[in-house]
Amino acid sequence: MDMGTANQSHQEWLKEMEAASRAKQTSFIDGISAKLRRPMVTEPPRHPFRGAPDFWNAYEWGEQERIDRFTANFLSVGGHVERLATMEDAQRFITDKANELSAKYIVRQNQPELEALNLEGALPDAQVSVWNSDPEQFWKARAAEADIGVVIADYAAAYTGSITVLSSKDKGRSVSLLPTVLMAIIPVERLKTRLGEIMVHFDEGGRASLPAGIHFISGPSRSADIENDLTIGVHGPGVVYALIVG
Amino acid sequence: MSGASGHSKGSSVKDRADLALNNEFLRKAVKYTTEKLKGGKLKAMEEHGNWEEWRERGKQIRLHTIAHLDYYLNLFVDNARANGVHVHFANTAEEAVHISLSIAERKNAKSVVKSKSMVTEELHLNHALESIGVEPVETDLGEYIIQLAGETPSHIIIPAIHKNRYQIADLLSADAGETLEPDTKVLAGYVRKKLREKFLEADIGMTGCNFAIAETGSMVLFENEGNARMVTTVPETQITLMGMERIIPSWADLEVMATLLPRSATGQKLTVYMSGITGPRRSEDADGPEEMHIIIVDNGRSLQLGDPEFQELLNCIRCGACLNACPVYRHIGGHAYGGTYSGPIGAVLTPSLQKNIAEWDDIANASSLCGACYEACPVKIPLHEMLVYLRRRKVEAGHGNKLESAGMIGFSKIMSNSARFKAILKLGKMGQKLVARNGEIRLKVGPLKGWNSHRVTPSLPKKSFRDQWGTMEAEIRNGLQEMAPDMKNRMEQIVKNREKGGGNGHGHS
Ligand code: SF4
Repeated sequence: MDMGTANQSHQEWLKEMEAASRAKQTSFIDGISAKLRRPMVTEPPRHPFRGAPDFWNAYEWGEQERIDRFTANFLSVGGHVERLATMEDAQRFITDKANELSAKYIVRQNQPELEALNLEGALPDAQVSVWNSDPEQFWKARAAEADIGVVIADYAAAYTGSITVLSSKDKGRSVSLLPTVLMAIIPVERLKTRLGEIMVHFDEGGRASLPAGIHFISGPSRSADIENDLTIGVHGPGVVYALIVG
Repeated sequence: MSGASGHSKGSSVKDRADLALNNEFLRKAVKYTTEKLKGGKLKAMEEHGNWEEWRERGKQIRLHTIAHLDYYLNLFVDNARANGVHVHFANTAEEAVHISLSIAERKNAKSVVKSKSMVTEELHLNHALESIGVEPVETDLGEYIIQLAGETPSHIIIPAIHKNRYQIADLLSADAGETLEPDTKVLAGYVRKKLREKFLEADIGMTGCNFAIAETGSMVLFENEGNARMVTTVPETQITLMGMERIIPSWADLEVMATLLPRSATGQKLTVYMSGITGPRRSEDADGPEEMHIIIVDNGRSLQLGDPEFQELLNCIRCGACLNACPVYRHIGGHAYGGTYSGPIGAVLTPSLQKNIAEWDDIANASSLCGACYEACPVKIPLHEMLVYLRRRKVEAGHGNKLESAGMIGFSKIMSNSARFKAILKLGKMGQKLVARNGEIRLKVGPLKGWNSHRVTPSLPKKSFRDQWGTMEAEIRNGLQEMAPDMKNRMEQIVKNREKGGGNGHGHS
């Protein structure tokens, strides 16, 4: 009852704040227009320099080169890359690694491709949780205690050696962030040359199509703050495997 | 709000520069870091073809956005609201702090976990949070260390470069209540564990914002450690403080910024994490904040809008490349600049944010005008020209004599010695260009005459800057012996206070 009242008054407070903010928006934006010495622009301005230069937008590597470049970039920042032919190979790799490292807790995204790997069956000694499969669980804690997180990349970019993951009900942001080791499966057809080939989907899809979290991951977590010593893994996964499959 | 800011006004940049110069380790660390970063950057730029074309594109995108800032900011706000974000506007630092504290109070917050943000530094937000009994926790490894030491950051990208491993081990041991080995892995391991506890306890996560995408209402963060992701994933409430100029129109434009920013900052092709956050968690999501606030901060930025000489400052993407390129920064380190923003960008930004030319004149004069900052800037901001404008304005405003006050004499001595100046010019490799560029600039004003005449005939010495390091150090020492007795007393007093453990002179404490 108390909580309910507190929540209600909080919602009311948020509404008050919003009303104040909307009122202020006008004066704030008008102030900017005044500084720019013209009335406020309401039509979308012509933006002749939108996005990357033309020469870049035409740039594209063949599949093998994308794989090679991604691999070289990812290795150079301390990540690991495996080139695997099939999802069965991916399953074998993940289970071997999990056994080798004696992983106790594994958390994976709730996706059919990962379901098909049947990690639960292949790793009887580990506890494999499926993200957000049970509303009673405190999922952030499940991810935080996990030794290994398993995800499927939505995209990857070879030029920068980046894996892109999008959040959803079935794809937790924590799964690629909190475990000590991250295993990211990249279906080879999702590996692009440039970041721009990925970003274009977000522009075209528009605001309403975007998930809450879009993350580009380009290697293991790193800090370089103690005498410039590269200290790996203070916050995010210190070990990252990119498994290029297909 | 910050008692110490009164103090930093009382001591000139030169006082602080000398404290830095006295610290052997600081100089080495700053030099090593900046050279490493600079080296990395050159490599990333070489590998990445058409760097000039990218720079030009970056500049055009920033120019276009700022020229239509009313449109794009308004669009961003509408889209962010549609995403479910609570957007607030703050004209001043006080308003931004007030809004942040109101949210914290509403949430009965006990602690706030933060990822690195120059804006929150600019607002002295940690201090304000403490004042209402909320514990602010800096979560970048370097920031955390700095926070334990009660100082302000000395470098935009690598804030703890002036502390060595032993000093850090001491700080962390005091925090842990047990002795930790001065081993990087041990120390990092302690911080990992400690901060995870903090993340899980915290009521609020607080971030800055590298870019805000107008067309989708998304905010974008670049980082290497993963703590900004933690801050935006774990706590139930997220507050993002955003300078009103952080806008870019689209994700396509983000590709350009993502190409320029990490390469210029640290020489990386991309930071380890680049996150685009579009609103709070969706109702079925199992992580991400339930409530998300974005506070859009002016705090002096609009003073630059519509000012032909300084508007381009708003194009700054806070990469720190100008710091790494600047011979003065390389010598004295960040604390000597006294403000939140150091190096060439700080020298121009700090006074223009504060509309307070007189107080900060010594900072502008500590920059060498060699133009290396412009050459390094990924969005081509003519900082060296702005420094000249700043000096001219100061003189026009009738503060000309301040230059000759005790605070400045030391530094003008260093810099007016032609041999040293030329050595610095060589470092910037800008000697000849500088002459041409300055043909149009009004420089022959008051006490600056001396500088100017040295600069128009730079015959560059064969010895490199590094070769002359020892000599310069000696000359600087000799120069300082001639300083006015009252200034010397003041500096000695500061050193004494420091030994007593007072962190003053470095902003809030
Ligand atoms: S002025 Fe340019 S080089 Fe300096 S921090 Fe800003 S964007 Fe980077």
